[in-house]
Amino acid sequence: MSIIRAKELVHEYIRRDEEGNVEAIQVALDHVNLNVEPGQFISILGHNGSGKSTFAKHINALLTPSEGTLYVDGMNVSDDEYTFAVRQTAGMVFQNPDNQIIASVVDEDVAFGPENIGVPTEQIITRVEKALKMVGMYKYKSHSPNKLSGGQKQRVAIAGVMAMEPKCIILDEPTAMLDPDGRADVLQAVHTLNKEKGITVILITHYMEEVVDSDYVFVMEKGKVFMEGTPREIFKDVDLLKQHSLDVPQVTLLAHELKKAGLNLPDCVLTRKELLEALKENYGHLIRNQIGGGKLDFPESHPSKKNPTDNVMILDHVSYKYSPGTSYEVTALDDVSLNIKEGEFIGIIGHTGSGKSTLVQHLNGLIKSTEGSIYYRGQDIYDKDYDIRDLRTQVGMVFQYPEHQLFETTVFKDVQFGPKNQGLDEKEQIKRAYEALGLVGLPEEFFLASPFELSGGQKRRAAIAGVIAMKPAVLILDEPTAGLDPKGRDDILGLISDMHEKRGDTVILVSHSMEDVANYVDRIIVMDGGKPVYDGTPKEVFAHYKELEKIGLAAPQVTYVMNDLKAAGFEVKTDATTVEEAKEEILCCVK
Amino acid sequence: MLREITLGQYYPADSVLHSLDPRVKLFSTLVFIITLFAANNVVLFAIVLVTLFGIIRMSHVPFSFMVKGLRSIVMLLIIAGLFNLFLTPGKTLVSFWIFSISDVGLKNAVLMTSRMILLIIGTSILTLTTTPNQLTDGLEKSLGFLKRIGVPVHEISMMMSIALRFIPILIEETDKIMKAQMARGADFETGGLIKKAKNMVPLLVPLFVSAFRRANDLSYAMEARCYNGGEGRTKMKPLQYSSLDQRAYICIGAYIIGFFVVKGIL
Repeated sequence: MSIIRAKELVHEYIRRDEEGNVEAIQVALDHVNLNVEPGQFISILGHNGSGKSTFAKHINALLTPSEGTLYVDGMNVSDDEYTFAVRQTAGMVFQNPDNQIIASVVDEDVAFGPENIGVPTEQIITRVEKALKMVGMYKYKSHSPNKLSGGQKQRVAIAGVMAMEPKCIILDEPTAMLDPDGRADVLQAVHTLNKEKGITVILITHYMEEVVDSDYVFVMEKGKVFMEGTPREIFKDVDLLKQHSLDVPQVTLLAHELKKAGLNLPDCVLTRKELLEALKENYGHLIRNQIGGGKLDFPESHPSKKNPTDNVMILDHVSYKYSPGTSYEVTALDDVSLNIKEGEFIGIIGHTGSGKSTLVQHLNGLIKSTEGSIYYRGQDIYDKDYDIRDLRTQVGMVFQYPEHQLFETTVFKDVQFGPKNQGLDEKEQIKRAYEALGLVGLPEEFFLASPFELSGGQKRRAAIAGVIAMKPAVLILDEPTAGLDPKGRDDILGLISDMHEKRGDTVILVSHSMEDVANYVDRIIVMDGGKPVYDGTPKEVFAHYKELEKIGLAAPQVTYVMNDLKAAGFEVKTDATTVEEAKEEILCCVK
Repeated sequence: MLREITLGQYYPADSVLHSLDPRVKLFSTLVFIITLFAANNVVLFAIVLVTLFGIIRMSHVPFSFMVKGLRSIVMLLIIAGLFNLFLTPGKTLVSFWIFSISDVGLKNAVLMTSRMILLIIGTSILTLTTTPNQLTDGLEKSLGFLKRIGVPVHEISMMMSIALRFIPILIEETDKIMKAQMARGADFETGGLIKKAKNMVPLLVPLFVSAFRRANDLSYAMEARCYNGGEGRTKMKPLQYSSLDQRAYICIGAYIIGFFVVKGIL
C-alpha cells in the first residue's frame, strides 16, 4: 500500500478584501496525482512558486485540500479525526533552521514532539537519545541552539521529528540556507535514515546535485507535476529542463554538451565516475601511457592595464578580534594585507566562520579593525577627519538576504532612501532610483507597489537597487544568491556581471558556491581562519583543489572531472573551471 | 553594543542552590522579600543580612558577578537615597544653606538604599542559579492553581520560554538590519529626540516584519510537531521534589518562624 497517495489534489489560496468578497484566487496545486511507496527516497523539484511547499504542507495536514483527496498511510488528511495521527506518521522539517526550534536547549527541543503526544517521561528520554544519535548530534544535547551552525540546527530539527517515530519525513528545502558543509551533513543524515531505518523520505529542493541519489523524482511547475521518473529519466532531457529554468548537475550538463558536439556517450550521465568510464570505453585508445609532467600552464594572471597605482583599496595588516580582552575573545581576521584594484571582479570564498563577512564589513567601515589600517583611494579611513558616512556611499554593501531591510511604503521610496541620506536633492534622488531600478531589471509596474508584495527574487532586486542607487564605486555583495532558485540565481549573477562589464564597477562577491564564482569573477580570494590562504585567478586557485577540500571547500565539479581524466591518462589540461572550458578541452583531446 | 544586553543571566556552577527545584527557589525568594520589608530594626535586618550572605556563599557564584547587576541602578539608588535624606521632616541633625538632614531622613535613607541593594542581590541569586527554562517550568507549576480561575498558565509560560529563545536571535537581527541601513547612509546616532525616533523607522519596520514572519514559521513548526496546548502533555524533565528540596523547605520554615518570633519579642 502506498504511504502517500494524492488523487486530483487541488489547493487554492483565496484572497479576500475587508468585506470578505473574493479578490483573487491563486491555484497553488492543480490536480496533482502522486504515489509514494514505503521506504522510498523521493525528491520533488521545482522553482519557487511551483507549489511544492504547498504540497508538503498538505502531507502534514497543515493545509487542507480545496478539492481532491490525499491519503497518508491510509488516513484521509481532510478528516479532522486523523490530524494528529497524520502529523505523527509524516513528520516535517522546514527551511529556516532558526524558526523551527522551540526550546533553548537541544535535548528539550527534540523532546517537544514526544511531550506533545503524551509519551511517558522515561520513554521520552530514550527516544531523544536515540534520535540525537541518529543524526550525530548527541554530544550537543545540552547546548543552546543559538551556538550551533545552520547544518547542526537542521539536524536537531530532523531529530525532533524522528523522536516522534514517524514512518515518513518531509523536508521542505532543508538545505536552502546552509553552506556546502552543512548541506552535506544534513543530506548524509537523511540518507542514513532512509537506508538504515527504512524511513520514507520526501525531499523538496532546487539543488539538482541532491536529487541524483533518490529513487524517484517529481518535477513540479505551476502547481502541476510536469515530469516524473528516476533521476536518470529526468536528467536525460537537459534541454527541456533548461527551458523550464531548472538546473542539471555540472557533469550531466558537460556530458550533454559533449554528446551534442558529436562524442559517443550514453544518454544520461549522472556522476563523475560514469563520465570517466564512458570516455575510457569509447576513447581509451587515446590514452598515452606516459603521463605528462603535470605542468599546469597558467594564463598571465591579470591584464596588464591594471598597474599598482590603480589600487582602490589597500588593507595593511588588518586584524579584528571580537570581545578583545575577555575569555570570549575570537580572532576573526588575522593580519590581512590585500590590494583591491580598480575595476576588478573579485570572489571571496570560505566556509562559514572563515572571516569573509567580517572582512568585507571592514571595507566600508561598518567594523573598525582592532589593528592595522585601511586606505580608500589613498586616504586612511580611520583618520579623525575622514567622513566614514561618505565612504559608505562610495563602497556599497549588499548584505545577505538584503530583502529583509526593505521598509518603505513603495519600492521606489525604498530605493530613494540611500540617495536621500547622501543629501541629494529630490530630482536627483528620483533620477537615481529610476536608473537603479532599471539596472536591476524590475518591471515598472512594481515601482509603486509595496515592497512586501513582491516575490522573493523581485524583492532581492529591489534591495540591490537600493544600494546601487547611491552609485558606489565599489560594490560588495554578501551571498547575493542565498536561498534563490536556479533561475533567480542566474538572473542575479548575470545582473552583477553586467554591471561589472558595462559600467566597469569594482565588484566583490562573497560566496560559498564555487560554480558561481568560477563562472564570473577574475580573481578569487580564499579565506580560512581569518586569513587569505589563496589569492589568484580561478584557474590558479582551483588547481589547489585538494588543499581546498581540507578547509571545507571544493572546486567546481568540472575541475574534478578534468583531474579524473588526467589521472586516467587522457592528455588534458586540468585547469578548466567552467563547463564551456571543459568541453573545449575534452573535444580538443579526443578529436 | 547590543550584544552586551543580558537578560535573566544564568551562571553555570555546581552548587546546592543550582540543583534545587525552581519552585523552592521561587518560594524562598518570596519569603526573602517579605522578611526584608518586614525587618524594621537592626536585629531583624542583621538576621536577613546574615542569611543572605550564607546563601551567596552556598551559590558558588562570585560576589563580583552579583554586584555587576547593581551597576545599572546606581543612579536610581543615589537619587532615591538623596531624596529620603533631605526631604524627610523630623528632628534636624545637620543643616547647611537650604538643606537639612533629619534623624528620620537619615534612617530612611540608609534603610531604603540597603533594602534596594539586598532586594536586587537576593533576586539575582534566583536568576543566576536557575536556567530560564527551569524558571518558566517552576512558574508554570507553582502558579498552576490559577488555571482554575481561568488564567492560561501553560500558554503564558510557553510564551515566556519562546521569548527567551528568540531574544538573542532578534538582537542579532537588529544588529544586522542596523548595519545594512547604515551601509545605505542611515544615521542612528545624531539628531534630537524626534529626529532620532524618525530615524528608527528603517530599523523597526524590517524588524517587526521579520518577527511576524518568524512567528508564522514557528507556529507551523509547532503544529507540525503535534502541539495542541497544555492538555495531555508530558514532560521529559518533570519537576520532582528530592530530599534536598524537602530539607530546603524545612530550613525556610525555620527561618520564617525564627524571624517572626524575634520580631514579636522586640
